[in-house]
Amino acid sequence: MLAQQLVNGILLGSTYALIALGLTLVLGVFGKLNIAHGDVFMFGAFAGVAAASFGASLALAILAGIFVSAVVNVIIERSCFYPLRNAHFLAPMLSTIAFGILLQNVATQIWGSDPSRYPNIEAVTQFEIGGILLSSVHIVILAVSFSVMLTVDIVIYRTKIGRALRATALDPEVAGLLGVNTKNVMFITFLTAGALAGVAGVLTAVVYSQISPLIGIRQGLIGMVAMVIGGLGNLRGAMIGGILIGLVEVLNDAYLDASYRDLIVFSLFFGFIILKPNGLFPQPSGNRS
Amino acid sequence: MSIYMEGILMQMGINILMAYSAFIILATGQLSLGNAGFMAIGAFCSGYLTVRLGIPLPIALILSALLSSLVGVALGIPVLRIRGFFLVLGTLGFGETVRAFFINFEPTGGAYGMRGLFGTTFEMVLLTVVAVTIGLWRIEQSRIGRAFDAVAADEDAAQGAGVNVRAVKVMAFGIGAFIAGLAGGLSAHHLLYVEPGHFSFLVSAMAVLFVILGGMQTFWGAMLGAVIFSLLPEMLRFMEDWRLSVYGAALIILMILRPNGLLSRVFLRNIAMKFQF
Repeated sequence: MLAQQLVNGILLGSTYALIALGLTLVLGVFGKLNIAHGDVFMFGAFAGVAAASFGASLALAILAGIFVSAVVNVIIERSCFYPLRNAHFLAPMLSTIAFGILLQNVATQIWGSDPSRYPNIEAVTQFEIGGILLSSVHIVILAVSFSVMLTVDIVIYRTKIGRALRATALDPEVAGLLGVNTKNVMFITFLTAGALAGVAGVLTAVVYSQISPLIGIRQGLIGMVAMVIGGLGNLRGAMIGGILIGLVEVLNDAYLDASYRDLIVFSLFFGFIILKPNGLFPQPSGNRS
Repeated sequence: MSIYMEGILMQMGINILMAYSAFIILATGQLSLGNAGFMAIGAFCSGYLTVRLGIPLPIALILSALLSSLVGVALGIPVLRIRGFFLVLGTLGFGETVRAFFINFEPTGGAYGMRGLFGTTFEMVLLTVVAVTIGLWRIEQSRIGRAFDAVAADEDAAQGAGVNVRAVKVMAFGIGAFIAGLAGGLSAHHLLYVEPGHFSFLVSAMAVLFVILGGMQTFWGAMLGAVIFSLLPEMLRFMEDWRLSVYGAALIILMILRPNGLLSRVFLRNIAMKFQF
């Protein structure tokens, strides 16, 4: 029973981790918060469902989600962050709130406000490993989300692009002087963050089958919770934070009552910010608050 | 006045109060994305008092605004420790925690909330807005207003000049929570029911947006922002289903064009000069 819950928690948490990773990338590199990130996730989820309803395979649906979310996130960068790069730090953040309202209403117009369903995937086989039930879809989702997280981790900490990104996060001006094309870094960051939200969106649509235009509000907030618990600006921390929140939610539903879910998650969030604002894994340098 | 018009104006009045509550906290250089939480406290508490205990609405409104204010002070003290993004996220977390609390709080009906609230009249909203406006105007003209300015401009310098920075910041949360509590009580008795879903973080965010777009240097900016952005969705009715999308786009464009808001003090002073001889 407990082992099964832990697996379910990791499954849920892995989608939260992908959302938190995107939020943390943008916050870490720019020191700016994208509040519409949850709505980018929602758009990706709808794009995946739309592709699947035209008969696309799961892989194609995920690619559709990645593409749409990445494009939307780049549009956010162009309309909310770039024009306001010299304004007060609140200005772009509030602008993204307006963008979130825009995305929610555009999604309602395109796909309707009733919950949309991801078409049933055929050929689902159930496995039983040591008493834990797992379907082939769940295994695919775990594989996709963990390989995406691993790839991002390798790119950020092992490649030249990653080094440019981390340099920009530490000090954009000095990075620029040393030959980093910070404008490109900005573009790549938003593209990647959007793509991650898109993957998370399609995977969530597949597992929980129902999505609606307002689904992104809570997902975005949970992403922020995971980001704070993992240590603001710490990428690996954000991933661990996402999985922890998934575990907390699933264990709460199993042993307490589902209606306590938000109360527990958000009081944990508030408690962390007041008592331990740097999270479980404080970022050693470049604290951007 | 038609019922339709009266409804719009009452909603506008409530939005003005929400903008004021965000403004007074912004006026000390802090930011709250959790004012929907104070609004929820005002709404549920006043609803409980009128529906379950039969207390007249005006008294219930003031009592619940006082409770909200108390919670505001209680929030203002721990958030003294944090600033920047942590303040944004912390207040956001507070608002969501309050909402989640009321989902599980059975005396006010849990997730379903309460029905049978009534009694908000147009005159009552108008009177509250006028009274709060006069209060804010008095504060702006007083020593406290100057202390607010000083803290917003430079905390350390204000401290050096003898301003009790901690007290000023906590007081701003107390006043902001009081006003948001009034807004919540009026809104709940205007809509005739109240449920936790009304107080999502978008409500808090819109209150801050009203202030930023109207101009955060003076409370007239907060009022202007709330008036314009309460009327805009009505003026966009001809766009039918797309009106809220256009509304969102309009906010983004305005933010690009005037990131510091429509009204500034210099602008107001220039207007005042024109009328002086």
